Amino acid sequence: MKSLLAIFFFLSAGLCVNAAEINVYSHRHYDSDAVLFKKFSQQTGVQVNVIKGSADQLIQRLISEGKNSPADILLTVDAGRLHRAKEAGILQPVESETLSQNVPESMRDPEGSWYGMTVRARVIVYAKGRVNPEELSSYEDLASSKWRARLAVRSSSNIYNQSLLASIIAANGPAKALSWAKAVRKNMVRAPRGSDRDQARAVASGLADVAVINTYYLGILANSTSAADREVARKVGVFFPNQNGRGAHVNVSGGGVTRSSKNKKDAIRFLEFLTSSESQQTFSAVNYEYPVKIENNRSDLLKSWGSFKADKVNLSILGSRNPEAVKTFDRAGWE
Amino acid sequence: MTEPGGSKTQNGTGLTLILTSPKRNLSNFGRGFLFKLNGWTLAALVIGLLIFIPMASVLWHLTSPSENWRHLEETVLTSYLKDSLILVLGTVFLSVVAGVSCAWLVSCCEFPGRKIFEWILVLPLAVPTFIAAYAYFDLLAIIEEKMIPLVIWTRTNSVEDLDTVIFLLDSLKYPVTMLVMASVLYPYVYLLARASFSRQGSQLIEAARTLGHSPRSIFFRVALPLARPAIVAGASLVVMETLNDYGAVKHFGISTFTNGIFRTWFALNDLSGALRLAALLMLFILSLLVVERLLRSGAKFEEKGNFARPFQRYRLGPTGATLAIACCLVPLTCGFLIPLGRLSLWASDSYRKILDSSFVELVANSLSLAVASSLLIVLTATFLAFAGRYFKSPGVHITNRLAILGYSVPGAVVAMAIMLVAGPLNLTLGILLTGSLLTLLFAYLIRFLAVAWQPVDSGMEKNCDLLNEASQSLKASPLVSLLKINLPLIRPSLWAAGLLVFVDTMKELPLTLILRPFNFETLSTRTYDLTNQAQIPESSVPAMCIILVVVFPVVWLNRKMEAPK
Repeated sequence: MKSLLAIFFFLSAGLCVNAAEINVYSHRHYDSDAVLFKKFSQQTGVQVNVIKGSADQLIQRLISEGKNSPADILLTVDAGRLHRAKEAGILQPVESETLSQNVPESMRDPEGSWYGMTVRARVIVYAKGRVNPEELSSYEDLASSKWRARLAVRSSSNIYNQSLLASIIAANGPAKALSWAKAVRKNMVRAPRGSDRDQARAVASGLADVAVINTYYLGILANSTSAADREVARKVGVFFPNQNGRGAHVNVSGGGVTRSSKNKKDAIRFLEFLTSSESQQTFSAVNYEYPVKIENNRSDLLKSWGSFKADKVNLSILGSRNPEAVKTFDRAGWE
Repeated sequence: MTEPGGSKTQNGTGLTLILTSPKRNLSNFGRGFLFKLNGWTLAALVIGLLIFIPMASVLWHLTSPSENWRHLEETVLTSYLKDSLILVLGTVFLSVVAGVSCAWLVSCCEFPGRKIFEWILVLPLAVPTFIAAYAYFDLLAIIEEKMIPLVIWTRTNSVEDLDTVIFLLDSLKYPVTMLVMASVLYPYVYLLARASFSRQGSQLIEAARTLGHSPRSIFFRVALPLARPAIVAGASLVVMETLNDYGAVKHFGISTFTNGIFRTWFALNDLSGALRLAALLMLFILSLLVVERLLRSGAKFEEKGNFARPFQRYRLGPTGATLAIACCLVPLTCGFLIPLGRLSLWASDSYRKILDSSFVELVANSLSLAVASSLLIVLTATFLAFAGRYFKSPGVHITNRLAILGYSVPGAVVAMAIMLVAGPLNLTLGILLTGSLLTLLFAYLIRFLAVAWQPVDSGMEKNCDLLNEASQSLKASPLVSLLKINLPLIRPSLWAAGLLVFVDTMKELPLTLILRPFNFETLSTRTYDLTNQAQIPESSVPAMCIILVVVFPVVWLNRKMEAPK
């Protein structure tokens, strides 16, 4: 009987919420986060409980859990998803002097439902030696026939590509975006597959000449324990596109306080902690992401890629244009 | 005790799962009340329906309006169908070729090492498809690399042929994925085909021999047709496992139905569209099962010669024996030796980084979850089977059939179904159902009830039905009959059922991933997390752990299957 009771308590432990803890649903699988969560607990005495999962599944779970959800914080990558979470009504607007100071206006939700935490640029990487960077100019140019069978980009199921296309829809209109997606798909040397890293590998191996990837993947490759990966990082160059126009497409990873939060105070403290300048350096040092104030970057590796002009489009537009982007990909036959 | 031999493919292993037909009870229709209501049957009806409700809620969406349905039909639906069909057909073909030829060799031929191959060939069953995909993660890239000179040459010298080269490059993913999947799924066919070959006995084959048939002709004209139902049953399991897979297809970039469900759900943010796709997939698999059963009902001759003396194996000469060994080594190498070899190589580099106190917790989590779900599922299966059989209640029989449908749909769809039902319950009851271990266990119950059901139910059919009738006429209580007659008689089936569920839950990924509680990680979710961060070497440690834990029950089950000979 005792053991039965023990089992019962074990099973119901998931239902209890203690005041001195916050529950985080996180899509981010990076080591930097574990380091920072631990630091937050040490500084504040607030325990951080985490469920890692894909953002989409976590959002669905928050929706289905409704006001009973134990979650206090949703952390995810890409403004498209943050916007989706806001639309689903699972985030609550919060105001905090510190957060407003830590996070630039373009990197947060106008109503405070979510705040950016780190910035990543989606750039073109090219094969050093085989491609002269002067041949490169913009995302739009990747549709040109000179890149026929020379391009590698990952699947359109990936939200980074969806947000990129959303920014192109916002800039050029839906019709041009569709023909762009069709032409780019035709220029790919292989059907979209694998991660951003795999696209960089394809460039290094000679299969492709240019690829579209997020900047921090290059940092991960350059600091990999595998010699082959470090070699990949050496063989490719970074090009920030659209510098003569709207700027390179950037996106954030970020988080918001859930509507169901039972511990709003500590949840806000948690976001403030993650956006503090000290934590921001950890993100760039451990995970090679830009701080949410890009100019504050102190990482030498990130500096070595050069400074750049970022697209200033309001990130929440990427979210509202997301379904349109996905359908455009479907129509373009970009898997 | 009744003799086994009534229905087919009853080898006591449970691998035929939901594929065995009920074919009984309707004669009682006139004699009794449809449900034969009493405490037992009522409880069984309620439990059966509870397990079925989430599945029904998915099927309900078969015609539900979805804003994006037209868009899906116009753009991607055909490619989901195409990719799923190509993958399923290819994987089934390879699995059948490998499974049947190995089964024929070990059961009907004699060559050095045969006895070892007999059991060692089932080992790939311990490797989940998503782990096999990680073990072969770079296979496609390696082949692509070999094609680089061709691509570069075409780019500069023969631009008009670029389309052909790209098409070729694009098509590579299909054979590679089929190969990876088939190399760990063929044991389903192998096990059932082997059981069938060794049950065929000598009469027919020796008759064919005296009529002057060569071994080859005997194989194609006698043994293979006789084993057809078993092979089809094994192939159905391969179909279900292939469609269930999410990790491997995602890794190799194949847009199957399961992939499409996720894309519609998450990327298009259209739950009802995703549910409609899921319902279509369910319907497809269910109709496949019906066809399979129809095919099998015309094949009642299989069990003839069941107790004839065993077939005298062909002694193979040196060339034949070498070929036979090579033939058995190929699937074994692809499905077990290479994956395990590569994983151990990586693990030897990374184990220091991964093996810490939290790893012990992972193992404990996985084991306790697998043990708890095995207990729960075997208990439920036993209760449901007993209530249906003892009281001969057609109502319970129907709900039991419905309750075991969960095995035929992908784990991700079961998770969706749970969310669908748990969502409103969360809100109305004010208790949080999602994210508790109880919900996860319930999800396993839906998904794997069939796995335990088959051995338990067929065990009862073989051993207990007549005795139950006797005990009823002696006015013994049902509880006494269950405890004193049924449970002791079907003990081996219970063990087999428990171990099968154990193996499946240890290997399970999507359900656990979606429904697990806070800070709760199992070996399979850890493997997935690590590979998601492209830490393939690190992921090899938990992956290997799964395989090593699962290998023992797999070998034991294989022994059990050989025993009746």
